[in-house]
Amino acid sequence: MMEPLTWPQIFAQLGIQFWPVWVALVLLYAVSIRYRRRLGLYGKLFDSKIGMFGFALVMFWVFTALFADLILTHDPLAQFSGMRNAAPGSALRDPGNGYPHFLFGGDALARDVFSRMVMGAREVLRIAPFAAMISFMIGISLGLPAGYIGGRLDTGLTFIANLVLAFPVILLFFLLVAPEIQNTAIPRVMAGILFLMPVLFFTVLLNARFFTQPMKRNLYVGSVLVVGLWAYSGLAFNADPLGVWGMSPNLLNVFVAVVFVNAPTVFRIVRGITMDIKTRDYVAAAQTRGEGPWYIMLWEILPNARGPLIVDFCLRIGYTTILLGTLGFFGLGVAPESPDWGSTINQGRRLLTVYPHAALAPALALMSLVLGLNLLADGLREESLKD
Amino acid sequence: MTQKNRKATELHKAAHLYARECRNGKLSRREFLTRATALGVAAPAAYGLLGLTGPAARAQTPQMGGTLRMQMDIKAQRDPRTWDWSELANVCRGWLEYMVSYERDGSIQPVLLESWEANEDATIFTLNVRPGVTWNNGDTFTASDVAHNIERWCDASVEGNSMAGRMSALSEDGKLREGAIEIVDDLTLRLHLSSPDIAIIVNMADYPAAVVHPSFTGDDPVGNPIGTGPYRPVSHEPGIGAVIERNPDHTWWNEGNGAWLDRIEFLDLGTDPSAWMAAAESGEIDLTYQTTGDFIDLFEMVGLPSSEAITASTLAVRFNQMQAPYDNVNVRRALQMAVDNAIVLELGYNDLGTVAENHHVCPIHPEYAEMDPPELDPAQARAMIEAEGLADHEFELISIDDNWQAATCDSVAAQIRAAGINIRRTILPGATFWNDWLNYPFSSTEWNMRPLGVQVLNLAYRSGVAWNEAGFANAEFDTLLDEANGIADADERRVVMLKIQQIMRDEGVLIQPYWRSLYRNARPNVLGAEMHPTFEVRYQHYGLS
Amino acid sequence: MLLFLARRIGVMLVTALCLTFVVFYLTNLPAKLETLAKTQAGSRISDAEVVSWLERNGYNQPMLLRYGEWLGAVPGWTREADDGSITGRCYRLASVTEPGAAPVRCGLIQGYWGNSTRFRADVANVISARLGATGMLMLWVLIVMVPMALLVGVLAGMREGSRTDRSLSTFAIASTATPEYVSGVVFIALFASSAVGLSPLLVSWGVIEGPVLFQGNARSALEKITFWNFFLPVMTIALYGMGYVARITRASMTEVMTQQYIRTARLKGVSFGNIVLRHALRNALIAPFTVIMLQIPWLLNGVVIVEVLFSYPGFGWVLFEAAANNDIELLLAASVVAVVVVLITQLVSDIGYVYLNPRIRIT
Repeated sequence: MMEPLTWPQIFAQLGIQFWPVWVALVLLYAVSIRYRRRLGLYGKLFDSKIGMFGFALVMFWVFTALFADLILTHDPLAQFSGMRNAAPGSALRDPGNGYPHFLFGGDALARDVFSRMVMGAREVLRIAPFAAMISFMIGISLGLPAGYIGGRLDTGLTFIANLVLAFPVILLFFLLVAPEIQNTAIPRVMAGILFLMPVLFFTVLLNARFFTQPMKRNLYVGSVLVVGLWAYSGLAFNADPLGVWGMSPNLLNVFVAVVFVNAPTVFRIVRGITMDIKTRDYVAAAQTRGEGPWYIMLWEILPNARGPLIVDFCLRIGYTTILLGTLGFFGLGVAPESPDWGSTINQGRRLLTVYPHAALAPALALMSLVLGLNLLADGLREESLKD
Repeated sequence: MTQKNRKATELHKAAHLYARECRNGKLSRREFLTRATALGVAAPAAYGLLGLTGPAARAQTPQMGGTLRMQMDIKAQRDPRTWDWSELANVCRGWLEYMVSYERDGSIQPVLLESWEANEDATIFTLNVRPGVTWNNGDTFTASDVAHNIERWCDASVEGNSMAGRMSALSEDGKLREGAIEIVDDLTLRLHLSSPDIAIIVNMADYPAAVVHPSFTGDDPVGNPIGTGPYRPVSHEPGIGAVIERNPDHTWWNEGNGAWLDRIEFLDLGTDPSAWMAAAESGEIDLTYQTTGDFIDLFEMVGLPSSEAITASTLAVRFNQMQAPYDNVNVRRALQMAVDNAIVLELGYNDLGTVAENHHVCPIHPEYAEMDPPELDPAQARAMIEAEGLADHEFELISIDDNWQAATCDSVAAQIRAAGINIRRTILPGATFWNDWLNYPFSSTEWNMRPLGVQVLNLAYRSGVAWNEAGFANAEFDTLLDEANGIADADERRVVMLKIQQIMRDEGVLIQPYWRSLYRNARPNVLGAEMHPTFEVRYQHYGLS
Repeated sequence: MLLFLARRIGVMLVTALCLTFVVFYLTNLPAKLETLAKTQAGSRISDAEVVSWLERNGYNQPMLLRYGEWLGAVPGWTREADDGSITGRCYRLASVTEPGAAPVRCGLIQGYWGNSTRFRADVANVISARLGATGMLMLWVLIVMVPMALLVGVLAGMREGSRTDRSLSTFAIASTATPEYVSGVVFIALFASSAVGLSPLLVSWGVIEGPVLFQGNARSALEKITFWNFFLPVMTIALYGMGYVARITRASMTEVMTQQYIRTARLKGVSFGNIVLRHALRNALIAPFTVIMLQIPWLLNGVVIVEVLFSYPGFGWVLFEAAANNDIELLLAASVVAVVVVLITQLVSDIGYVYLNPRIRIT
């Protein structure tokens, strides 16, 4: 039986456990700062202290998620007899060959809080950025034509977007993430529509650019279609012949609901920016050149709207992370033993008054990630305004 | 008086038998009391058979008056016989009383019945109605009211009427059998059972057996609160709370022995115990309905001591044998073997109970046969799963989203996983879980205690019965169970029981980790509100010191 | 202006119609109806009993027809019992059984909101009572949040890039990065626990009488709102909502401070305080006003978490209960209310924008 660790020892151990993250961060910053003048907006980020700090927080968790297997000390799902609600630094009763301590203590089911927090980063970063990305592609694919073409199309799409936005988010989640819904065709159909958007987006994007060069076009569009439809069949219909892409019905349901909630907001932002930009001279110039509407939208308007969109993207990842936690709070969605932060906070909060560590560790993790994303967004905004 | 004398002298023969068993240590005292009183032996007499005196009268008599605030779920009311939550009954206990009551010590006490007797083979029961009981609308309570209620209970055409199953010895084709009840006079009636059933009186203590007035036709006992008890509802809002006050216009038959409180306020604070905790800390509640897990200690820390009830309630983590891969006995046995029930009890239920042995018969049941603990061998479990070609199969364990049930299943899953077998957990919200509870391949179900070991086996594991969630169909088991049902003597029955328990074990019917103890926390000045093994809240006997 | 209002109300009606149909569809899936039957008639009833319950309560008709019943466009279902009495949708709502005693149609158009299966009560009563409770909560949230957010935003935006700006902005960002389910539990641990946090300290110093500083449960606020029982829920919502408004205010303020007329005023030698109060503030508050209005429906969401966490039965709590118990008619009514709130706040924000900013006119 080992002695329990004191707080300084715990921090020292933490520093050691996170070594892959430190190495990766130092490398990343060294390279980025060295070549920042050649790196465009990303490079400018390193001119802003706030942005740098935010980026460091975000990358800390990204690297943690990547190297989670190296960092964690125990199996995040394993339970250890005698470690229920153990205090941070407690020694295991019978460590065997494993790590002898619970760095952040044990939770109500005698699992290692530290390992769960580390693994939670992977869970969260697997869903949130991906969901935000899909929301963005949908918002962009619909927002550009709505803002650029206007008319009936705009009225119709705006009405639908407002309809979704008028729904209280919680109600939507309860209706969409309910287990009964999982067994119906609804999530599949919605996933079928929502996941088709990115494929269409890239197809149209490349087609609009290269349709004058059929060889290149066929190559690019063809490969996008192959990869896209392959992923599409796996993700939306769980019918990937090779079994690489796939999502459990539960996760798919959560994913669809999150995308469904986010996409209309992105749509409104893109629509607004498009309406603003389409009056600019360079758009008029492209029109007189005789470029097609999709080329103008995707290759003239979109690149010029990237600043606010990137900022909103960062914020939206944070918001999605919070949203996933909300789902966990209401016991909806994600798998029950999943170490994702929302669910762990919710489980830990019951005993918060006596054993705060089980809830505080994931809560601080979630706050720091969202804070990092917000600061990053702020830094990016400031730097992009300096253009 | 004559009736009491008769009882003291003409004790049921089986009761003497039970008393001997109890003295020999074969029958727990609780069990003896349950069974002796079920046969019509008054509790003091039952204690007498053991050579004991009954528990001393309550050390402290509560003062008259005061308001008690209790945390308890308040659900939308409906017809009492269709109640499926004890909370529904508990709200109404102040005015809807029962024929008999099941006490914490395991005895059955008369309430609206004054006494009852069974014949030799427990097929004819004579019920003596308590004289002097009136309904709060002024009517007198008579034998025909009892008959009316029994007839209501037998009506199986009402959806969700769970009393129909309990009264099966009195019914036929889903209705009361012609001639099953014989009204002898205003205060006496006789029940003629189609088969021996010593549980019939015990069943009348179950929470859906609240006695209603003949005029009760609707489905809301709060909106139409005619009853015999001393209280009446003031308000009742599902999800929020209910307020009950002493009924000033009614003389209760039991006046002087209860109804201390002026007012009882139930607060529905949701299902999250940390919200109850917050309410207790800010002084908004005096007692909880049921406390589980770590919260028992937490409430004690903030000055609400706990009371415990030892029960044969449990969580059955059962396999459904109709569904692959659980149709294979080796798979079921392997999964059982991977799980150490003692660790599940420690991590899943805070060691607040006793370890169980995977056959759903509790040591407090009289016919429990002692067995070796179940085999535990994770390595062998893994080997067996591999041998069945399921090394890469991902098992799925489903549970309801209730705190301790989910934790227990997480713990079971963690052990199966530790043995090297893939398993994932699914948690379903309460509203959804019950949609399919009989058919989940691998899931957990909460089973409350029944006084006799054969009762749950009859309800849940006999081939083709309505609640057979394990899909268990075993002719040998059924025959043995029939045999056990016909044996009144626990010693003799135990011989058969050993075989039954062995079959349950060999067939790998369920992982049954522990028997639960139940807890409640109350402020020290609350009297008579100890936790009850079947969750009863008889607030007419609660009081403040 | 009238035409504008009429169009807005038209859009509102169409939105509500679409939305309620979606809710109706999703809550009337066969599996959901089975859940309803089991919560209503007993969780362990058999499949046959489920079918008979659904039939007896009029759930066995086609979905569109029942949606029509709910709207009041289609006559409500009726069934004659053996003894000649009649039950049916409208008979239940009017609680009569004699043939012909109840209206033929009884839906939203006729003013019947239906019955809540969870609460066994008239939906209109449930919603209005709970909406009132949430109204109080929202009122206090706004009273706390708006001045706080504006103050932080104006102070930060006054001198862009200053140390005050940096620290206040970071505070605002941190508050938006802390969701209610985190800040709520942290607050409870800090202020409302007799074991940890501030309360035991304060008790030992003799500063407070009771065991805890603030109450971690807001149920008693239903009867009487006090500072002690309402502080934590209000702060939890206000803090999360505050950051966003503060940041908008800051952005708006920094923009105004770079305007020509401010520079002119400074050159004229007007004191800095005067410039901020007299010249900048009014123009800087236009953007935050619209954001605050749009924030209200969003607060309605945040309220769900806080009301459940602090067991305060308001609108969000009703939404949660209704959704968890598949209470169809209550959910429909709640979504109607939600749509109306969203669209009315949008309308108010548009109109308010016009009044605050004379350069825009509605045509």
